[in-house]
Amino acid sequence: MSDHPGKVTSKEYFDYQGFGGKLLFVALLALVSLGLAAVGGFFSAKQFAFSWLFAFTFFFTIAAGSFFWILVHHAVDADWSVVVRRQLENVAWLFPVLAILFIPVVLSAKTLFKWMSIEAGADPLLDGKAAYLNPAFFWARAAFYFLFFCVATWLLRRNSVRQDKDGDARHTWLSRKMVFPMLPLFALSLTFGAVDWLMGLDFHWFSTMWGVYIFAGSALSSMCVLVLLVTALRSAGYLEGVVTIEHYHIMGKLMLAFTVFWAYIGFSQYMLIWYANIPEETIYYLRRNTGSWNTLNIIMVIGHFFVPFVLLLFQATKKKPLLLCSVAAWILIMHLLDMYIVVLPTYHKAGFSPHWLDLVCLLAIGATLAAIFMKRLGDTPLWPLRDPRLANSLRLKN
Amino acid sequence: MESVGNTQAQLFGMAAEVPSASALYHAAEKVRDAGYKRWDVYSPFPIHGMDHAMGLKKSWLSALVFFGGLTGFATAIVLTFYPSTIEYPLIVAGKPVNFFTVPAFFPIMFELTVLISAFTATFGMLALNGLPRWNHPMFNWDRFRKVSNDGFFLAIEATDPQFDEEATRAMLEGLGAKHITLVHGD
Repeated sequence: MSDHPGKVTSKEYFDYQGFGGKLLFVALLALVSLGLAAVGGFFSAKQFAFSWLFAFTFFFTIAAGSFFWILVHHAVDADWSVVVRRQLENVAWLFPVLAILFIPVVLSAKTLFKWMSIEAGADPLLDGKAAYLNPAFFWARAAFYFLFFCVATWLLRRNSVRQDKDGDARHTWLSRKMVFPMLPLFALSLTFGAVDWLMGLDFHWFSTMWGVYIFAGSALSSMCVLVLLVTALRSAGYLEGVVTIEHYHIMGKLMLAFTVFWAYIGFSQYMLIWYANIPEETIYYLRRNTGSWNTLNIIMVIGHFFVPFVLLLFQATKKKPLLLCSVAAWILIMHLLDMYIVVLPTYHKAGFSPHWLDLVCLLAIGATLAAIFMKRLGDTPLWPLRDPRLANSLRLKN
Repeated sequence: MESVGNTQAQLFGMAAEVPSASALYHAAEKVRDAGYKRWDVYSPFPIHGMDHAMGLKKSWLSALVFFGGLTGFATAIVLTFYPSTIEYPLIVAGKPVNFFTVPAFFPIMFELTVLISAFTATFGMLALNGLPRWNHPMFNWDRFRKVSNDGFFLAIEATDPQFDEEATRAMLEGLGAKHITLVHGD
C-alpha cells in the first residue's frame, strides 16, 4: 500500500466479539449432525455411503475450485484478485479437514464401489481395467490427491501469510514459481479424483470428459462461494474500501464465463454419448433421463445454465452485490443438485427417493467445515496486507 | 493562434497538446466538468479510466450484440428444425425427427449465436466509432503525427454548443495545454 498510505480504514483482522454464539451454534450443529450421520450409517449403511459421498463431493469441489483460483491468480500474475485471495486461501486450506471427512468414504468403499468386491475373471470389462481399477493403486492415488492438495494449499497460504509480516516481494515470486508444477498436478488430481470416486460408482461406464465436467462445476461453485463470503464479510463491516463494486463485476463475469463453460462441457459430454449410442456409454444418461431423475435433470439444465446465463448477461446483475449473491446462491443450489444427480442414481436406480441422511450428511460436512473456517478466520488478516500488487487491486477499474 | 488545413473550409475544432498520459487524463476531467459535449482525446495507447475521465456513458454495443446473438440463435432454429423435422425428415441412426432431436442442433445454435454476435461486435464497434473513414481533419496538423509515438492531444470540435474561440482557448490554456491550434477540414 506504499502509494496509498492510510487510504483503507477497514479493520484488518476479524473481530470475534459477539461472534462466539454463532461459532458455538455452528460447532454444535456439526457435532449433532455428525452424530446423527453416524447413527444413520449404522442403521442404513448403503444410504449413508451414497449420501455422504454426495455431500463430500459438493464441498470437495468447492475447495478444489478455490485452490484453482489461487493457482490462476499466481500463474497469470493477476492484480484484481489480490484483495479476495486470502478468503480463497482460507477455503482451500480446508483440505486437511476434507481428508479427515473422507474417512467414511474409505470405510464404505466396498458399498460404493462394486468393482472392489468382484473377483478377477468374473467380469471381462473389469479385467480390462484391472491395471487401473485395483484397490492398491486406488488407495495410493487417493492418498496422493489429498497429500498434494494439503501440501500445496498449505505452502501457498504460508507464503501469503508470511508476506503480511515482512512485506517481502520474494514471497510473491516464490508462489509464482511454485504454482507452475502445481497446475498440472492439480489437473491430474481433480480429473482422476473425479474418475475414481464418481465415475467409479459404475465401473462399466466411462466418459473422457468426466474430469473437466467436474472441474467446470468446481470453478463455478467456488466463485459463487467467494462472492457470498466476501459479501458476508462486507455486511459485517469488513473489507470496506478493499473489495469494491469493480471486484464484484469481475467475479460476476467469471461466474458467467463458467456458467457457459459448465454447460458447454456438460452438453458436449451428453451429445457425444447420445450421438454414438453405445450401450456401455448410454447407461449413465438412460438412468438419469428416466422417470423422476429426468425431471430433476431437466430442472438442472434450465436452472444451472439458462437461468443464471440470462441473469448474468446484464451488467446490472454483476454490479449489485445483493443481486449477484442471489444468483451465486442459486448456482450453488444447482451445483448441489448436479452432485446429487451424479451420485445418487447409482443407488436409487428406479427414481428420485430423498432420504433424511442426504440432508444430515450435508449438514454434518458443511457445518464442520464452516465451524473450522470461522475458527481460523481471525488467525490472519482478512486480505493480504502487504502484497506488492495490493495497490493495483484496490484501485481496480473495469 | 495557428491555423492548419484549408482555412476556407469548415472549421473542425480547436486542438492542443499535453505532455503526458496523466496530463491528458486530468485535462479530460476538466473538459468534462466544463460541460463540453463534442470533443475527443488522442493518445498512442489506451489510457485506463479515460472513459470515466471523459464522462462517457456505457457503450450501446452490448445491447447490439445481444440482439445479434438472438438473431443467430433464431436463424439456427429455423435452419435446423425446418428442413430436418418438417420439410424433409430423415431418420439418422434411429434418432427421432421431432423436437427431441434437438441435441443434434445445439452445436449449430451455439455456433451461429457466437458467429453473429462476433460479427455484430466487430462491425457494430466500427460503426459506433464512425469507421471506416478515409481521412480525418486532425491529419491536417503536422504536429499530430506524434500521436502514434509520444504525443497526447485533445480537440474540442466546432460543433460543440459551448465552442467559442476565445473561451475555449482560455480553457485549454488553463489546462496547461501547449500548441493550441485551429484545425480546419480539407
